[in-house]
Amino acid sequence: MKMRNILLVLTLVAASALTGCAKKQDASERVLNIVSPAEIKGFDPAMADDLYSGREIAKIYESLLAYHWLKVPYELIPNLAEAMPEISKDGITYTFKIKKGVLFQDDAAFPNGKGREIEAADFVYSLKRLADAKTTANGWWVLDGKLVGLNEWRDKYAKQPTTNYDEEVAGLKALDKYTLQFKLAKPFPQFLYTLAMGFTSVVSKEVVAKYGPEFINHPVGTGPYILPKFDQGKRIVYTKNPTFREKFYPTDASPEYKDLLADAGKKLPLVDKLIVNVIVESQPGWLKFNKGEIDYYSIPKDNFATAVKDNKLSPELSGKGIELMISPMLDLTYTGFNYENKLFHNVKLRRAMSLAFDEKKSNELFYNNTSFYAQGAIPPGIAGQNKDFKNPYKGLDLVAAKKMLAEAGYPEGKGLPEIVYDIPDSTTSRQMGEYFQKQMEQIGIKIKISASPWPEFQAKLKKRDVQMFGAAWGADYPDAENFLQLFYGPNSSPGSNSTNYNDPAFNKQFEVATKMQDSPVRTGLYEKMNKTLAEDVVVIFNMHRQAYTVRHGWLKNYHNSDLNNDIYQYLNVDTAKKEELLKKF
Amino acid sequence: MNMYSYILRRLLYVIPVLLGVCFIIFIIFNVVAPDPAYVLLGRHATIEQINQLHKELGTDLPFWNQYLNTVKTAFTFDFGSSWSSKQQISEMIKAGAGPSLTLTVPLFIITFIVSISIALLVSFYRGGFIDKFVLLLSIAMMSISSLAYILFGQWFFAYKLGWFEIAGYEPGFPNFIPYTVLPVLLYLAFSWGPDTRFYRSMILDEVYQDYVRTARAKGVGELSIMFKHVLKNAMVPILTYGIIQIPMLFLGLLLAESFFGIPGLGNITIKALNTSDFPVIKAMTILSALAFIVFGVITDVLYTIVDPRMKLK
Amino acid sequence: MTAVTTTTNIPGTNTRTKPSRSMWQHTFHTITHDKLSCIALLVVIFYFVLALLTSTGLVAANWGAEIGPAYSPPSAQFLFGTDIFGRSVFLKMIKAAETAVAIGLVTSLISLVIGTILGAVAGYFGGIVDEIIVWFYTTFSSIPFFMLLIAIAFIMGKGTTTVFISLGVTSWVGLCRIVRGEVMKHKDREYSQAASAIGAGHYRKIFKHILPNISHVLIINFSQTFESAIKSEVILSYLGLGVQGRPSWGTMIDDSKLELARGVWWQLAAATLAMFLIVLAFNILGDALRDALDPKLKGK
Repeated sequence: MKMRNILLVLTLVAASALTGCAKKQDASERVLNIVSPAEIKGFDPAMADDLYSGREIAKIYESLLAYHWLKVPYELIPNLAEAMPEISKDGITYTFKIKKGVLFQDDAAFPNGKGREIEAADFVYSLKRLADAKTTANGWWVLDGKLVGLNEWRDKYAKQPTTNYDEEVAGLKALDKYTLQFKLAKPFPQFLYTLAMGFTSVVSKEVVAKYGPEFINHPVGTGPYILPKFDQGKRIVYTKNPTFREKFYPTDASPEYKDLLADAGKKLPLVDKLIVNVIVESQPGWLKFNKGEIDYYSIPKDNFATAVKDNKLSPELSGKGIELMISPMLDLTYTGFNYENKLFHNVKLRRAMSLAFDEKKSNELFYNNTSFYAQGAIPPGIAGQNKDFKNPYKGLDLVAAKKMLAEAGYPEGKGLPEIVYDIPDSTTSRQMGEYFQKQMEQIGIKIKISASPWPEFQAKLKKRDVQMFGAAWGADYPDAENFLQLFYGPNSSPGSNSTNYNDPAFNKQFEVATKMQDSPVRTGLYEKMNKTLAEDVVVIFNMHRQAYTVRHGWLKNYHNSDLNNDIYQYLNVDTAKKEELLKKF
Repeated sequence: MNMYSYILRRLLYVIPVLLGVCFIIFIIFNVVAPDPAYVLLGRHATIEQINQLHKELGTDLPFWNQYLNTVKTAFTFDFGSSWSSKQQISEMIKAGAGPSLTLTVPLFIITFIVSISIALLVSFYRGGFIDKFVLLLSIAMMSISSLAYILFGQWFFAYKLGWFEIAGYEPGFPNFIPYTVLPVLLYLAFSWGPDTRFYRSMILDEVYQDYVRTARAKGVGELSIMFKHVLKNAMVPILTYGIIQIPMLFLGLLLAESFFGIPGLGNITIKALNTSDFPVIKAMTILSALAFIVFGVITDVLYTIVDPRMKLK
Repeated sequence: MTAVTTTTNIPGTNTRTKPSRSMWQHTFHTITHDKLSCIALLVVIFYFVLALLTSTGLVAANWGAEIGPAYSPPSAQFLFGTDIFGRSVFLKMIKAAETAVAIGLVTSLISLVIGTILGAVAGYFGGIVDEIIVWFYTTFSSIPFFMLLIAIAFIMGKGTTTVFISLGVTSWVGLCRIVRGEVMKHKDREYSQAASAIGAGHYRKIFKHILPNISHVLIINFSQTFESAIKSEVILSYLGLGVQGRPSWGTMIDDSKLELARGVWWQLAAATLAMFLIVLAFNILGDALRDALDPKLKGK
């Protein structure tokens, strides 16, 4: 039969195509395979306000300061600066010497395509660019109101067609080729942290001028890796920067990281090539890690139970040489109230809801029992978090919750309108929302879930168009101020204070604390403010999460870090071990 | 009406339809969609920054002005640049079209070959066991959700059996092949059913025509009837059916692209939706609408050329 | 290519014999005398009854209750296992039938009403009215399906109503096109000319005389819209636009995208199976209806 033959041939062709479609990987290459679990927006340091874009930028761009790779707690060290700055006694003037001989990466924007040496003036330009209203930088907040004359400069040119970068700003000056001076509008010790953030990376005005709006896809920095052009793809391949300065692997470490000193003193970066795979869905990411195609991966919440038991990896994984790393994250998850709504001014209602929230069960369901229970806003590991403080209105106590609700004027929820609870529309958020709804039902509070796609959820928060909402905050820098500012009145939406909580007494304390240098007095004040937030149940404090990361045996020097975005230069691959371990897959 | 004026008329019809499409897009993105400024400015935004950005994006203009801008975009193909990545949108589309086409073109061709072969086979044995079995199988396979196919297929074939790449993409032939085989096969699993059924009924339409009976009466063999007469005549509706699917090739495969990490147009669209990147979404919508309209015209025109029985309307 | 599936079963455009009572008898006869269609009909009826029972709270009312530990595999105690909250996947699956039937019914009704009215008006009046309606649906159908869905979600917010309306208003175009063509053919037939002769108004002619004569088109289309709405709900759930506050097969499948890699396959299996049965039944029934109601294909 002719037709049968055709079908037979087709089947055979299909079958032969099936086999051998998966590629074998080459273990001898010194290359890192990394996942970015979110899309990368682009490579403009002024715009990189999300964690994942920040991590990509740090492969190419550098700032004056950085965090020490092997120290806990986080310690600032000079990076492009020659040394830590001289700070005047009044805490106003910061004077930096910058490193000599640091080159921009080669690019067609420079004469002969050769990158030139960086100067103090480049930092002045980069920060002015961050401040320029025409950049519409979402990193502007780090400088807003901080430097003398910078806001005035910004406002002056906001309405004019071109911005004059040559006009001097008193608070931001290059004294000579290698000396940079900042003058703060008021004392703000956290200013140093902002100089370690990606926003304040040094960029070159030649490159900005050449590529114009496309600058975001043409990264040219001073860092360890280069990327000729970003094409918004799913696979970003970086290669070693041949003109990278002499920078070496640290030789000292905190006791926790003593075993990561094998490469001490070696010239950075340690691997020749970085491949970043953008994989948003967790199923493919996890499966790829399991096949050894990715060097490390944070365990998806739903794969946790099979991968980890009692903080130990399953034999199946550890048999492949995979190791588990646990480390606390500098973050806070919370359930917020919108204080524009008078209903939530009733502190007893808030307390009742907090008491009805079963944090233990929630930890078990959504965090695999790995999170710490948040007593207040400040996560562990940051000065201001009092280990002995226990929030009196946290931990499931339905009797107390019901009593509190009656005292609030809503016995068994009577008279209380249905409350809308806004969440982003991810599968996990939806499950958390359902769980919160179930919990509140127990004391008679009716919750209606409203899930929105991320942009709409953001817009709702920023327009104050919510009643209650689920949120998380990751630290910008390791200081309690960054968490307490979430409740500072003037930061209300569209700022970071999505609750629009505005308590004059708290605002005043906040203003006092931010001007103080790190001291036991300031820590005491932080603790006091944190306690007030907790006892007033300003939000329902949920968790401080921990990162659970698995890595393959061949990946060296890795540890979790919330703030070291520049980790990739320190990582190394043991190619012999990789070849050996891959045989087990 | 002669053919040329008919074609011209059909082509001119693109204009009012495109204006309508622009109007709907304008309503969606300029009137009802959430303000993009909030997402673009991030978590530390200030009111002053938001106003500045509105000016920059042109979203502070009066509505009629914004509508005119949308129309201008559609007719000049000047889509501008993306709000979030600042890339030229035309560049983004060029970059995304490749990966999408490496998925959709093989899928289109394979589905076509497979469906038409099966359709021929079952029409040959019409009413018999094979016919009934294949029909039932096709209905059964199209009754399962595409998401279920993708989830299960990726987990089972790529991970458990290790036959395919789990996710990812490399540009250039033949580098992309390991990444596209599995999504193509999974899509084939639920797209062959409807196509086969359609082709079968088109072929059967012809089988019962008088000329087939005449041929059979004359003693022409069944196989030769099938290929020489039936298939030739059934080709008209079959080809039109194929052509009308072509615009869909350019849209990419939404679910598969995001699950298998393929940087195609479907992925660009989803990313744009998540970052409120309206110019990109508008461009994708306008282009796909245009493709639908143009291929609609082509189908109509082809129909009138190949099948003179169709009256020009 | 998912969109293609909805446009495949275009009924032939050839003229039909005038349907009559005998046609309906014939339909009934065909379905009840074919074992397969008979089973399919029973399955559909079963799902409708199930939906009715769950909506009145007689069955699966306590689907939200915790019956065991999270993610227990299927066993004699937990048929189909439990989900993340330790709820019975079996009960969720049953309760979700209500959601599915509701989505199918409301969507098909919305698309039926819009498609029939616009199609009939365009076909009957012709001229400028026809031009406008044709322009409207051409424009509408040129915009990718999911873009419209998202737009409707923007306007209406998330929720079950949004799912109904967005699926309803995006699936009427095919029907509208067919109804328009049929009405055009039928309005010049003798019976409708006879109706004008005895002084029947436009409204009367459309609804009393012409529409009943093309009801088979509506019925076939209804069954297609029904099953494709159930399938589309899964995609909506993936995009985060699905139903909220009650279980649906779509959200169950969406949940399983996180569960599968840890070996939890039962939620995916249960939802897929439940969906498979009703969609399959509808497909078989749709075929049987078309064979019976569309004399052109009779006997093939």
